[in-house]
Amino acid sequence: MALQFDPAYNRRKRRLQTAVFGLFRLLSYAIALVLFVILGFIIVKGISVVNWTFLTQAPTDGMTGGGIWPAIVGTFYLMLGSALFAFPVGVVSGIYMSEYAPGGKLVAFIRMMTNNLAGIPSIVFGLFGMAFFVTYLDFGDSILAGSLTLGLLALPIVIRTTEEAFRDIAPSYREGSLALGATKAQTIWHVLLPMAMPRVITGLILSLGRVSGETAPILFTCAAYFLPKLPASIFDQCMALPYHLYVVATSGTDIEAQMPIAYGTAFVLIVIVLVMNLVAGLIRRHFEKKLNTK
Amino acid sequence: MKKLALFLLLSLLAAPVRLAAQRIKGSDTVLPLSQALAEMFMQSRPQATVTVTGGGSGVGISALMDGTTDLAMASRRIKFGEKMKMKQSHHTPCEFVVAYDALAVIVHPSNPVKRLTREQLEGIFRGKITNWKQVGGEDAKIIVYSRETSSGTYEFFKESVLRNKNYMSGVLSMPATGAIIQSVSQTRGAIGYVGLAYLNPMVKALAVSYDGGRHYVAPSVKSAMSGRYPVVRPLYYYYDKANEARVRPFLRFIDTKVARAKTLDLGFIPR
Amino acid sequence: MKKWIDRLARRVFTVSGFVTSAVILLIIGFLFSEAAGLFRQPIVEEGYVLALNKSNTVDRLSAEEIKLLFDEDITNWRDVGGADMPVRVFRLEDLDRLYTEEELGAEYEHAGDKIAEQVRADRGIIAFVPTVLVEGRTDIHLVPDHTIPVKDVLLGTEWYPTATPSPIFGMVPLLAGTLWVSFFAILIALPFGLAVSIYMAEVAPPGVSRVLKPVIELLGGIPSVVYGFFGLAVIVPLLQQTFRLPVGESGLAGSIVLALMALPTIITVSEDAMRNCPRTMREASLALGATRWQTIYKVVVPYSISGITSGVVLGIGRAIGETMAVLMVTGNAAVIPTSILDPLRTIPATIAAELGEAPAGGAHYQALFLLGVILFFITLIINSCVELVSARNKTKR
Repeated sequence: MALQFDPAYNRRKRRLQTAVFGLFRLLSYAIALVLFVILGFIIVKGISVVNWTFLTQAPTDGMTGGGIWPAIVGTFYLMLGSALFAFPVGVVSGIYMSEYAPGGKLVAFIRMMTNNLAGIPSIVFGLFGMAFFVTYLDFGDSILAGSLTLGLLALPIVIRTTEEAFRDIAPSYREGSLALGATKAQTIWHVLLPMAMPRVITGLILSLGRVSGETAPILFTCAAYFLPKLPASIFDQCMALPYHLYVVATSGTDIEAQMPIAYGTAFVLIVIVLVMNLVAGLIRRHFEKKLNTK
Repeated sequence: MKKLALFLLLSLLAAPVRLAAQRIKGSDTVLPLSQALAEMFMQSRPQATVTVTGGGSGVGISALMDGTTDLAMASRRIKFGEKMKMKQSHHTPCEFVVAYDALAVIVHPSNPVKRLTREQLEGIFRGKITNWKQVGGEDAKIIVYSRETSSGTYEFFKESVLRNKNYMSGVLSMPATGAIIQSVSQTRGAIGYVGLAYLNPMVKALAVSYDGGRHYVAPSVKSAMSGRYPVVRPLYYYYDKANEARVRPFLRFIDTKVARAKTLDLGFIPR
Repeated sequence: MKKWIDRLARRVFTVSGFVTSAVILLIIGFLFSEAAGLFRQPIVEEGYVLALNKSNTVDRLSAEEIKLLFDEDITNWRDVGGADMPVRVFRLEDLDRLYTEEELGAEYEHAGDKIAEQVRADRGIIAFVPTVLVEGRTDIHLVPDHTIPVKDVLLGTEWYPTATPSPIFGMVPLLAGTLWVSFFAILIALPFGLAVSIYMAEVAPPGVSRVLKPVIELLGGIPSVVYGFFGLAVIVPLLQQTFRLPVGESGLAGSIVLALMALPTIITVSEDAMRNCPRTMREASLALGATRWQTIYKVVVPYSISGITSGVVLGIGRAIGETMAVLMVTGNAAVIPTSILDPLRTIPATIAAELGEAPAGGAHYQALFLLGVILFFITLIINSCVELVSARNKTKR
């Protein structure tokens, strides 16, 4: 203890702290820099390619010309499809975890299962989707099979955010509603759900952001290399942005002519993901502000 | 959210009722050619729809058996077992050569080696020859690039150059031909093989000898068309005989002048 | 009516509560049922058989031996337990070369006789022919087939899934590649992850943290195929030039990309853990005259170590399962890596690259599902570790 009054020791430990903190700051900025390098690289190379034609036309000239419209539409369908599956199922499941499940071991078990599902690699989802949706249920390579596979991927995120959103609602709301004679179902529907909704939606959007960028699960369940027309039903295959980027970057006859298209596709994909994150962030901030002012 | 749903609904409704669509599925090697031909075919006949999807030769042929495709693209001949299976389910597979494809052996542009015999190539791809100086080049390790095991190109190269023997296990497998070009152009000691259609100035193609070094032939459309270049393979379409009338217009289109010009343009050799 | 709806709702909620468990069970069921089929597959490609001359006594050949025989690396029957005579390889294609179509018959009805003719003529022959053509013949010796041994798959060191006549599914190189590249990814990501999370949780002024947090989240939101594209276009050539490597596609390129992808997970989870460290403990430490740095590494980090561990383990899980980025940058050579600068092949990349062309129901298809099962279990173990650590953490508090 006497050491603490030793000025040399104090100086040394301060100097050490300055050095360590300086290093940490440097590393943190380095990470931020990496992000900007990646984004900058793709934006700089991609933005010159992106124009109205690029966004609204189908690929032409053996993937060296035209645009990526079918891939944009395909990604949009897949996002919508997976949301239609993951949102209701995930929200209901999350509500069960928070409101109905008898605590203790059972909840711990279900939560473990949910976390495990979240940790399964996307390629395993792809395998499963191929064996189950495509082959066993005989959906074939289709938007339906792809959406369901992606929906499974999004499910744990939706469940988790829903559960957390419901848990964070003060018990007094529930008690108040029940005291007024409402049933549990009515309480959930009329009182809790509206309160939790913004956060649930945030979770959903974040999961859709992830879904929109996944390639491995749709590789064998849905993605098509080239389709001249937009898919007409959920049993058709579709093109998708991440898969398109993968094929354009690695295959095709004229790599040099395709590179700009790859950059453009990467750019559009990044923009979609950024926008999703941004929207989710805005909703969250809006909600947090509202919560804080209460 | 509501707007999105509405949009989806509208776009679903607006999608045209499907016309007698032709589905082409199979080999990724034939894919760019089929895609380009399908594009032109649809331009000349606006009422036609041709869908082109990849997946590989095997996938195409099994889709033909299930009846989920009208034309199966294949970069190899239909296997004996596949033919038997089709016969059992009372389908008769018909063969149609779309075009020919020559495989070029490529190296980094700075590599002084200009030509190799088939035996040397076999040694290199089987890992028996590991240094460029063994075949008259610089003292540098040979980096061997190959396609993924599942591709028809891999099979054909194995059949033709390696005489059905297996590649060494240390080859770098690239998911697609474009990636091979990219990698070979970046790697000084690299060697790889690609379809003639993919050749570009970023890489150097080698002359190949199939007669033990007496005649070397450089890969080109001309030498492949004249039959002098040895590593040439046909690319196939397979269809069910019962379905012939349906695919006939498209197959006939492949023989037209414009289609042949396009085939050449893409670096394939017209039938 | 109200009560009835309430009861119905309860039931619906209860059922859906188990949806994730059901999905996991389904995944396990389907992956397993496909994968298990591999060990019921014969060694030689289905529908084919190896025929030998009647005088040849060799009765059992492993996949490895068959490959060496057909690669002409084994040229004498002595080496596989037979008599001293040279090996001659015969394939169905050779039949087309030796006989005209008329001799074989339009439906190959005479092919069996012709094959037998060839096999009878050469004592050292090994013929790889369709079973239907030679079934039931007594003038040639058909090698009895056996199923693929578990040992050859799980301990095998060669991956030749499309080798004919007999594919080889040694999974060791793939497993080694996966673990190797993930190990280095974590080695790279760990110092960065810890430094950044400590900086964000403890050191940085709130304004900086508020900017850094979304930046990190964005890093996690970038699709893996974009990372792969970036790796292919930038990192691979960069590595090649800076380290003067013979090949740019290497484990290192994969590790760097994976490190970038694992970082956000590591940072977010460990930062949360450190923020949860009670104020009182920090204040006590500072009051005793410790500097902020001393407080961090003697109090905050030990306190939140389980949270940090979870973050790191989750990061490992992310790295092990990553597919597209790795597929694009690691070179995919199926050899057991000896250095991180070697190309290597991971399990997810193998599945992604090969599943498309593996005929459904065949041995190759099933082998890929087996790889999926292995991958599933690796991540399951990793997740269970995280659960365990965080469960212990809760009881500690």
